[in-house]
Amino acid sequence: MNQNIFQQAPHDLLPVGNHDDRMRQEFSKSFRQYIQNGLLPGLTPVFEGRVTRTFQKEHGRPPADRHDIRKAMVTDPYFQTYASSTRIAQELLWSSVIDPLERDLGPLTEKAETLSTQSPAMLKTSEDFDVPRYVSAIDIHCMPGGYASSRSDKDIFAGALYDRGVYLYAMGYMGPDNDDMGRSVCNYIKRNLPEFAPETILDMGCTIGHSTLPFKEEFPDAEVTGIDVAGPCIRYAHARAAAKELNVGFLQENAEETSFADQSFDLIVSHILLHETSGKAMPRIFDECYRLLKPGGYMIHADLPPFGKMGPFMQFILDNETYYNNEPFWGAMREIDQIKLASDAGFAPGTIRFDTAPMAVMELSEAEQAALTDREFVAGEYAPGGGWEVLIAQKGKTE
Amino acid sequence: MNMATEQTAPETQTPRHAKGKRPDFYATEGMDEAMSMIMVLASEFCTMRDRMDTIEKIVSDNGIDLESEIDRYTPTPESLNQREERRQSFFDRLFYVTQKKALEQATDDSGERYQDVLRDTAKG
Repeated sequence: MNQNIFQQAPHDLLPVGNHDDRMRQEFSKSFRQYIQNGLLPGLTPVFEGRVTRTFQKEHGRPPADRHDIRKAMVTDPYFQTYASSTRIAQELLWSSVIDPLERDLGPLTEKAETLSTQSPAMLKTSEDFDVPRYVSAIDIHCMPGGYASSRSDKDIFAGALYDRGVYLYAMGYMGPDNDDMGRSVCNYIKRNLPEFAPETILDMGCTIGHSTLPFKEEFPDAEVTGIDVAGPCIRYAHARAAAKELNVGFLQENAEETSFADQSFDLIVSHILLHETSGKAMPRIFDECYRLLKPGGYMIHADLPPFGKMGPFMQFILDNETYYNNEPFWGAMREIDQIKLASDAGFAPGTIRFDTAPMAVMELSEAEQAALTDREFVAGEYAPGGGWEVLIAQKGKTE
Repeated sequence: MNMATEQTAPETQTPRHAKGKRPDFYATEGMDEAMSMIMVLASEFCTMRDRMDTIEKIVSDNGIDLESEIDRYTPTPESLNQREERRQSFFDRLFYVTQKKALEQATDDSGERYQDVLRDTAKG
């Protein structure tokens, strides 16, 4: 079988480490590939066979929803090995990056500070910032230390860890610059809203700005800003953008309630942000998007599809993240009526819809793609279907 | 939610474990640790194979008879120390889950706390 072997684009702040660190990182990435290609497909026959038979015998009916399926699957030894392997791969992945990062943190932190000092772009963080509990209570996706724990006003640990970790997690499918989501949303805008030329763009929950930077590349005249609640990620994002010579501002702000004035932006985007918030935060974020948008402006949130768009078995597979990968809002978020939330926030019902933004990395020419990847996407894998689900809504032009 | 159960990492220590109760996947006590150990070993095994492959390619590119060089090599005290450090840090990785369980005990990070967070974050 052909494997995806392309490498992350190097830059000054990336903690890749020495030969053995890199090989451990490669191992964790290969292990994830193997789990998806070699172990995941076996779950379907196991479920449809012995697991369903046992459930039927005990309940006198087949499993009806993802909760039934979960109850039936957790005692099955095949599922146990699948789920346990997925968790271990995640733990190996972070460990393999923490090793070199711990060693090189001093020089990397200095380098980040130098890069940031030289950049004209705005940087704002505060050690007194009130990090919401949905980010601080559990270390999301099992990243040790979480996004936001900060050891000093210069700390970039979480940002550097995330940059390398997300490349490994996505097995390279985020592209060499981890920017596939942003790039895919940009492509979506250019194709579906050809007349729309945003001059001010806000990326909410930007982490290290990996999805933010393509907006500056695709809309070079626009003023692009990324916000996140995590100080170490914002500092890293700012320095990383500076290393790539892109003038993008990064501010530590909470998307529920920012310090920007009304009608500050033409376009507000987010990438895999919403499932890392909460039931209380989500409507507030939609309200804030509405407040911050100029009349006629667009809000676009890219994530994985809501549960209503897939069958119960697929829901169950996705929902494993909730229970086994420290993603407390992953499942609950996919049950929320986001169309209604957007409508309640003030967006005109006729403009609110879900759509698919094809993954930019899958749309490259055949030759370019062959250089990056050689593998089909199937449901249940990373970014199922080869596209990102986008929720799009427009603010009325006459507000 | 009792805020006293919130974990805060010591200022200077590199975080090695993720906050949040680690689920048990197997009914058999100890099996989760064993699986983790096996995969860490597999990772080291692959890393070593990759390293040897790198060495062999470089050395043969430079025309050196590596086999007899290896047989003749006597480790210096410095090299013995390095090896010992490497092995100890290998054990840290090998007992990763065991360490995580001890940390959860020490910091009261429980399944109940995880469920509380799920409930709290889902609240509309």
